[in-house]
Amino acid sequence: MSEPMLELRGVTKSFGHKSVLEDVELSLPAGSVLGLVGKNGSGKTTLLKCALGLQRPQQGDIRILGESAWELSAAGKERLGYVPQKIDLQPWMKIRQICAYTGAFYPRWNKPLVERRLRDWELNPEDRVGLLSVGQTQKLAFILALGHEPDLLVLDEPAASLDPVARRQFLETVLDMVGERTVLFSTHITSDLERVADRVAVLKDGKIVHSSELDELKDRVKRLHVQAATPLPNGAFRVPGMLQAKVTGNEAVVSVQDFTEDLPERIAQQWSASVSVQDLNLEDIFLELHHE
Amino acid sequence: MPPSSSHFQVNPSSGVPIYRQLMDQVRALVASGRWAEGDLLPSVRQVAQDLQVNQMTVSKAYSLLERDGVVERVRGLGMRVNQKSPKGTVKERQSELRPLLEQVATQAYQLALTPEQVLAALESLFKERGHE
Repeated sequence: MSEPMLELRGVTKSFGHKSVLEDVELSLPAGSVLGLVGKNGSGKTTLLKCALGLQRPQQGDIRILGESAWELSAAGKERLGYVPQKIDLQPWMKIRQICAYTGAFYPRWNKPLVERRLRDWELNPEDRVGLLSVGQTQKLAFILALGHEPDLLVLDEPAASLDPVARRQFLETVLDMVGERTVLFSTHITSDLERVADRVAVLKDGKIVHSSELDELKDRVKRLHVQAATPLPNGAFRVPGMLQAKVTGNEAVVSVQDFTEDLPERIAQQWSASVSVQDLNLEDIFLELHHE
Repeated sequence: MPPSSSHFQVNPSSGVPIYRQLMDQVRALVASGRWAEGDLLPSVRQVAQDLQVNQMTVSKAYSLLERDGVVERVRGLGMRVNQKSPKGTVKERQSELRPLLEQVATQAYQLALTPEQVLAALESLFKERGHE
């Protein structure tokens, strides 16, 4: 296994008294597509900014493309593409000009690819950047971030303002890069993530509460329907790895985060009940993991 | 009908991981004979592109199907439906039954039936259907 494209160890970051990231551990293998999910204010943007060396954590170690994030070399930066959530492009430039301007910073700028994408995404090179809609600006920023064909692409809420057609184009573009490039993107749109991501990390209150392959997450978080012959004890009803339980008479609906094949049988024996297993999609899982 | 990715139908927001949806569908297509022995499966890239899913997901499904003996890897050609009938060992086939048996065990317990009584009931059912 080659070195991870990105690795965070024990990263802690606070702004004044406000703690944003707490002891974050995250590793991104080359060629993977990692979706970072979390509620608003959970620390996604701060995590990405720290990973890119744009913000400095108080504690912890961040390696990106084999270098320290805070001291990333120019050669390292050339292999990196980034689309921030708040896109800040020169409003007075035309699209054609901003492409030429951005391209000038990169020795391996792929001009034909950029021009083709502008056409595919219906952006007119003669339009002024300042007059574009939010969605159009997001498309343009994405195209610019891909112009130098980066090895690692970091996207902060990339599809938030895109219409369904553009979102599909965005997904196609990311899917085309699978295997060749590494992608890290934050999102709260779980349906996008289910198609493209092979890994998922869940950030909750500044901590990574889950990080694994997406399939593994789906295999591990399940909802169980328990049906007993006699009433189940409300409050005392517990199962291993329980996230939450709702007990009503003889029935209980319980979600677990460490599902194993033998768990239903163990529960069945313990409570003399029949147990059926319900698969959960990412949105359900997200809600279960955030249950207070 | 040669195998094609149009035979697949995936639902990314179902709780079943996409690789398992693909595996289940290949198994069904092979079992039903729609995909015949020796047929070549559509390539990983093609399936990923047509279904708009991550290539690694498709490749994972194919590898697991290969492990299970449903398909085999042919150098330079890709994956093809295995020529050996993919019946599996007794143990594997038993494990297919397990979820159903779990329910039987639970209900038998609730009805206070002994394992012998359950087996007797099962035996008479087999006899009724003529497969002993």
